[in-house]
Amino acid sequence: MGEFRFLLNGKVVTVKAPPCYTLLEVLRYVLRMTGTKEGCARGDCGECTVLLDGEPVHACLTVMTQVEGRSVTTIEGIDPQHPLVRAFVEAGAVQCGHCTPGLIISSYALLSRNPSPTEEEVREAIRGNLCRCTGYSKIVRAVLSAAGV
Amino acid sequence: MEVPLHDVDVLVPKNLTEALRILSERRDIRVLAGGTDLLVQLRSGAVSKSDLIDISRLQELRYIRHSDGYIAIGALTTYSDIAGSDIVRRYAPLLAEAAETVGSVQIMNKGTIGGNVINASPAADSLPPLYVLDAKLKLVSVDGTRAVGISDFYRGYKKLEIRPNELLAEVRLRAMGAGEVGHFFKHGLRQGDAISVVNGAVVLDLDGDKVVNAAIALGAVAPTVVRAPEAERVLKGKRLSEDVMWEASREVLKSISPIDDVRGSAAYRRELSVNYLYMTLWRLAREVGAL
Repeated sequence: MGEFRFLLNGKVVTVKAPPCYTLLEVLRYVLRMTGTKEGCARGDCGECTVLLDGEPVHACLTVMTQVEGRSVTTIEGIDPQHPLVRAFVEAGAVQCGHCTPGLIISSYALLSRNPSPTEEEVREAIRGNLCRCTGYSKIVRAVLSAAGV
Repeated sequence: MEVPLHDVDVLVPKNLTEALRILSERRDIRVLAGGTDLLVQLRSGAVSKSDLIDISRLQELRYIRHSDGYIAIGALTTYSDIAGSDIVRRYAPLLAEAAETVGSVQIMNKGTIGGNVINASPAADSLPPLYVLDAKLKLVSVDGTRAVGISDFYRGYKKLEIRPNELLAEVRLRAMGAGEVGHFFKHGLRQGDAISVVNGAVVLDLDGDKVVNAAIALGAVAPTVVRAPEAERVLKGKRLSEDVMWEASREVLKSISPIDDVRGSAAYRRELSVNYLYMTLWRLAREVGAL
């Protein structure tokens, strides 16, 4: 059992977990923060996407020794009134909702470094996030609309 | 059944020296870099469970440098680092192309070039560029340092020229010269994030539209990445005409021995290899004004 200290959505947290526990397991089973979803658990679907020091990564492929001392942002750390979240709701970019947290995180990372992306840049940024409901059109529209493009 | 990893111990060395000491003392341990392949393989049981040494935080192995006609890339440099590097984009643009298409943004942010080399998938996207740019791998251990050429490093399917106490520290490749052009190509089953069905890299050294030298490598069509000397020979000394490019592309079949698997049949891979090589040569010919 190891003890890991990191910044989670701006607050310092300390958790006890086996060192090979993934960040996804710690979020969902230790901290009971279930906003981050588990899809494939092998890096294909992007559902568990979180920001590690500001960059999107798979929480399912990140073990706790890789998190120690770093900053993690999950969907719980995004303001529900954030323009991106509102745009997803308004554009109807949410259907079953399972992919939504990961897509918001990937889009959030994109807009943080590129506030006015092209449609192609949006599609590139979310290419690792699978959605089996929407066909992506409304998701892309939501991100562009949040960017004011 | 997923293999539980709760009892796996993860050692975190503070620096390279400590990492090498651990590797010399613990022969039963695996090196964890980005983890994008290793964790999947551990959980699926594709590799046996072992304790890990997590080197992912060793910043001293994360760099891209250019000097004396070479590019040196630290083993822990991520695909995102490589794709965004001005040095790589200028002196090895085909490696930047490979890094951009290796997987999703999430994979690019964690996966490392050293991990890709050591994981040794015949479909690894960084490998064809390393083969055509004559990469040398720097292996370090408590006993010292040695360099191994990329084609000598892979002795067969996942059979590597590396000792248990050695760590891959750096990948060093030839910087492309002024007359050289090249591209990476890849066929995946999904555009955004896929393992290659066939991939490859081409570098041509051109004098006008005449090929002075050619280097071609293909992946996912043999137990290791392979060079295509027959196809290279067809191109050398010739002008880039459609006939020459087709002849060279068909010659690639002599270098490959693909298998049927979940991503495609051997026959499909043979056809893809010929067609992708032709398309890549055609693209290069167009870019240099030869067509």
